[in-house]
Amino acid sequence: MPRVKSTVERLSPGQKMVLSALACVLVAIVAAPLREVLDLANMVMLFLLTVLVVAVSLGRNPAILASVLGVLLFDVFFVPPHFSLAVSNLQYLITFAVMLATALITGHLTATLKEQAAEAERRERRTHALYEIASKLAGALNEAQVREIVAPFVTAELSGRCALWLAERNHSGAGAVEGFSPVLAGQVMASGLRRVDHAARHALYLPLKAPMRVRGVLLVQTPDRLPEADLAFVEALASLVAIAVERLHYVEVAQRSEVDMATERLRSSILSALSHDLRTPLTVLIGLADSISLAAPELPAIAQEKLDELREQTRRLAGLVGNLLEMARLNAGSVTLRQEWQSLEEVVGSSLKLVGDALGRHRLRVELPRDLPLLRFDAVLIERVLCNLLENAAKYSPADGEIRVSAQVAGDFVELSVSDQGPGFPEPLSGDLFDMFVRGNGESTTPGAGLGLAICRAIVDAHGGRLRVANRPDGGASVQVSLPRGEPPLIEPEVA
Amino acid sequence: MSEERPQVLVVEDEVNIRQFVRLALEAEGCAVIEAGRLADGLRRAGEGPVDLVVLDLGLPDGDGIEFIRSYRGWSEGAVLILSARVEERQKIDALDAGADDYLTKPFGVGELRARVRALLRRRQRNAGEASPVFCFGEIRVDLARRLVTRGGAEVHLTPIEFRLLTMMIAHPGQVLTQRKLLAEIWGPSYVESSHYLRVYVGHLRQKLEDDPAQPRHFLTETGIGYRFQPGP
Repeated sequence: MPRVKSTVERLSPGQKMVLSALACVLVAIVAAPLREVLDLANMVMLFLLTVLVVAVSLGRNPAILASVLGVLLFDVFFVPPHFSLAVSNLQYLITFAVMLATALITGHLTATLKEQAAEAERRERRTHALYEIASKLAGALNEAQVREIVAPFVTAELSGRCALWLAERNHSGAGAVEGFSPVLAGQVMASGLRRVDHAARHALYLPLKAPMRVRGVLLVQTPDRLPEADLAFVEALASLVAIAVERLHYVEVAQRSEVDMATERLRSSILSALSHDLRTPLTVLIGLADSISLAAPELPAIAQEKLDELREQTRRLAGLVGNLLEMARLNAGSVTLRQEWQSLEEVVGSSLKLVGDALGRHRLRVELPRDLPLLRFDAVLIERVLCNLLENAAKYSPADGEIRVSAQVAGDFVELSVSDQGPGFPEPLSGDLFDMFVRGNGESTTPGAGLGLAICRAIVDAHGGRLRVANRPDGGASVQVSLPRGEPPLIEPEVA
Repeated sequence: MSEERPQVLVVEDEVNIRQFVRLALEAEGCAVIEAGRLADGLRRAGEGPVDLVVLDLGLPDGDGIEFIRSYRGWSEGAVLILSARVEERQKIDALDAGADDYLTKPFGVGELRARVRALLRRRQRNAGEASPVFCFGEIRVDLARRLVTRGGAEVHLTPIEFRLLTMMIAHPGQVLTQRKLLAEIWGPSYVESSHYLRVYVGHLRQKLEDDPAQPRHFLTETGIGYRFQPGP
């Protein structure tokens, strides 16, 4: 049945008219010999039936033609006098009028009904097609597959060609369509409104509007101008493609972050293995050096001296390894700050205790105001900053020099400075000091790898603070750490 | 001490570290039992009364914290942890699980001996009678009369300050985690409010330390908690 219908539908309007006329003439010829046998009223019925059949199979205009032609043929062949338009009995005029009216109304109603049925069927087919492509797109794993699904679809449903232009790729696959204009695609992309390219015939640029953003442009080129109903159809197609493209985008994002996480895990597991492997022999070295004194308490002076030296160098090495690992962790981004509201005085105290012996004979002056606010920072990391600064100060200061630790509130920051009476930083001061392995004085015999300040800055930066170096007017270096004040939480007053 | 040598179990997978730890412990007059694995350690601990366990947190066949949890199920013996510096979280977990103290690798024999001495001494003191009066530096705390004097002059402490002081002097030389202190003194809903602790420890230092910025008694274990050190 659909096959027959489609052959009829393929006829041009003129052919349909001829067919309609032929049908009427055929009925007249077949019915003519029967006019003596059958009543005229029955003849009328035959013509009305013809109009109905024509309306169903050929549509409205052929039905109108059949109505008029039917009346004429009825008059000429069946109403006496035969073969003349003249009418013997005026009653027949009423018959003609009723017949014409009935034929026209029947034809009109039938044709309308048929058109509606055809429209509904077409819509149903389109909906089904959209449903099918939606389920296919849902299974697409990459952009190539999306293209492979969309192109045949456009060919089958609209007899056109299409191209997909994606913003993030900038490659087109647009070669399939002649006269594709990337400029126009860019404009559609920016405005989010569909456009017709009048230069290339019937080229329709549709924005791929996904929930998050416009993902690209779908170009559809059809042989004829698309009717209004089909515009809605291609819009629907565009939004399906948009959703598929956006889904692929997020799949990619998810995969990328999974890879990142795996890399991150690998990095931190390498670091912790390295940390373990380096610390173990250091622990053994320090322990064994200490054990010698236990095993032989009365060592000759020279041996004791060498032993102390060994111990000292090992401790220095341990400090260095600690700094290296810390820097590696900071650089790898695997450090999460454990920020809590802390007392600066407390961290200064614990740093001084940790550095302990290294401060040696230096005079120490700590000047902290009593009313310093609590600050939010990672105490372990800030302690490391202070230890590094104190060790540096002790390293570069003359034996009896003074090391000064002071703090003050300055606007939205609290500034903590550590200064010494050493030679100071080489002028002119530059940011290089903060780079890894750069030391103030390259030729210096003072031990150290120049990691200290780099770590300090990485830590202070991570806290949203600033690290600055300066030379004091009276000689000596000064390093200033500024940490943001923030809003310390309230302390409920104690109920006595 | 000759008759009753303290029994110390060393659970550490590195033979070299185990060796010098043994030397240091023997110099302290302890009898040492060694174990290289967690399962082995637990078995040895179960075989006889052990006064102190020196435990490495990273063992090849499991986490040291598992050892502590299991061990605390049936023993009150002291536990000293050995751990690398980067593992703050692990140390806190181990202390909260019931460990008494920790040492950060690399550590010197001197530090190790001091910690071991403190832990063993505390066990002996726990066995003896508790005194209502506690002295450190020029501070005298009369727990029964709730009276604190510094060089003879009375020091006024608020109730919370006094509770904090009491709790700290009840655990001399021992690390108390922030969580433990907050839960004990302010209540379980305050375990995340470490700023209370900062402020109140600050008060105690202002009132009882010579130089609050360089405390000698109320020591900070950065990132972990506090330690009260009675002696110099």
